[in-house]
Amino acid sequence: MYLYLPVALTSINILVPVGLGLAVGLLSGLFGVGGGFLMTPLLIMFGIPSTVAAATDSNQIVAASTSGTYAHWKVGNVDFKMGMYLLAGGFLGGVVGVQAIKLLHAMGNADFVIKMTYVLMLGIVGVYMFIESLQSMKKKKTTVVEEAGEEKESAVGRFLKSLPLQTRFEKSGITHSIFVPIVLGVFVGVLAAIMGVGGGFLMVPIMVYMLRMPMHVVVGTSLFQILFTCIEVTFLQAYTNHSVDFVLAVLLLLGSTIGAQVGAVFGRKLKADQLKILLAGIVLVVTVKIIFELTLTPSLLISQAGGH
Amino acid sequence: MKNFVLRIADWGIAMIAALAFIFILVFSGNASAMLTARANHDHITIDFFYHGSTVSIRGESDPNVDLVIKITAPEEHQVLKQKGKVGGLLWMNVGQLKFEHTPNFYAVYSTKKLDEMLGKEEMEKYVIGYPALEKHVAVTPAANEEEKAKWFNEFVKYKEASNVYVSSSGKISTTAKADGRQEYYILTDWPYQAAPGDYLVTVYAVKNGKVVEQAEAKVNVEQAGLVKTLATMAKNSAAFYGILSIGIALGAGFGVGLVFRKGGGSH
Repeated sequence: MYLYLPVALTSINILVPVGLGLAVGLLSGLFGVGGGFLMTPLLIMFGIPSTVAAATDSNQIVAASTSGTYAHWKVGNVDFKMGMYLLAGGFLGGVVGVQAIKLLHAMGNADFVIKMTYVLMLGIVGVYMFIESLQSMKKKKTTVVEEAGEEKESAVGRFLKSLPLQTRFEKSGITHSIFVPIVLGVFVGVLAAIMGVGGGFLMVPIMVYMLRMPMHVVVGTSLFQILFTCIEVTFLQAYTNHSVDFVLAVLLLLGSTIGAQVGAVFGRKLKADQLKILLAGIVLVVTVKIIFELTLTPSLLISQAGGH
Repeated sequence: MKNFVLRIADWGIAMIAALAFIFILVFSGNASAMLTARANHDHITIDFFYHGSTVSIRGESDPNVDLVIKITAPEEHQVLKQKGKVGGLLWMNVGQLKFEHTPNFYAVYSTKKLDEMLGKEEMEKYVIGYPALEKHVAVTPAANEEEKAKWFNEFVKYKEASNVYVSSSGKISTTAKADGRQEYYILTDWPYQAAPGDYLVTVYAVKNGKVVEQAEAKVNVEQAGLVKTLATMAKNSAAFYGILSIGIALGAGFGVGLVFRKGGGSH
């Protein structure tokens, strides 16, 4: 059955957005990512104009991440305090990033910088997570549990401990200076604004490897943080670009809210390393896809203006 | 589904005849009869279940003429992204291209191949066919004719991919009438990608490589009901529309969360 989309000005088989929503929502609930890096290109492939695809996806993520945050909060896997600090940093970073994009456009090589940042970030994150989780899976097999209490005191670790305003994050069981999550939030916010994505795939590894939070709390906290980012983005897109398609968003969220619940339940049955390696695999597949897109001759040499 | 049934055209034949008569006076010296054109679906309404439509055009002409039917949207200024190779290796957007005097919809149907029935100058004069349209539009930046041709071809490919540009021959059927006149008919698929707006149907009668007569009809595409309400709200009450979209998304997320808590239980 087909439905007409009033803002995208096109007609779509309703099974397409509902199915896409279900699949991407599942990933949200499992890994704590918004899934914009998958959803937006898929929507464009199905004939949705690029600006509408990006804006409507952020509207849909509001629903999916609400559903996912709720599911993770019920089992105590959301660190609200950490989420708020990251959010504060992310907000600042977003403001800086938008200015950076303006500057890049004025310099004329915006697309090159955006694409390269995207490929490098995805590539680095994917490879690092993949190798790290593979190693820790092997280690656990051979030496069982004995190194559970092991704490490597690196130079970076000592530096982080020396910062002022140390505070305890109960849910995650860690202590950090409040500047650590704020600065990391700024970093992700800047990159996310430049790349035009939500940044979940960057935030998750940063929480795991730099903040040393437990994987299951990372997923819930990341979703909580994404929820607020996407509320802001949806409003700005609707208000300034008129590019949110309400009907498409509703079709997507029919699938994604349910997918997020299923993902959250399923994620609890997986070990942290299994979750990490799966996410690394998806990130690497997307990296390879983008590299192909960059190197193969496109079928159309012109495309709609606006959006990335 | 009632809205979906398209209202049949209510054109006064006399009015079109009068219009055609004026064209005869202007464009032709020797044509004896009048060309008429009528679109059966001149008002297409877009509701939630709209998935494109069909438009048929029929009319009468002299028996020994060839016909060209052109459907166009008003001309506008379009800005598109241009892809190119960076460093000889990577494909990415390298800038913007401006296409001026281009219709967002351009369909040409003819009884024979265009270049078999019309001279180049005549095609250019009436903007019939892609080569004539290429001459008509302005592409910037394009350093020379070669570059312009390249980007215009890409532009046509892009528009054809979304079904809003069509050029085909042989789809018009003609039948001789008892009174010696000729009746023509074409049924075209109207793509759902064609945006709401006014479209102009022009029928050209061609003889000895020249356009001898011209007749016009109109097709109007309009959003209706809730589709129209939402599209208007997105533009005119953007803040409210944004808040509403966010509110529904939050509500749906919580709603599904609650449902799953009741259903799931033990996890």
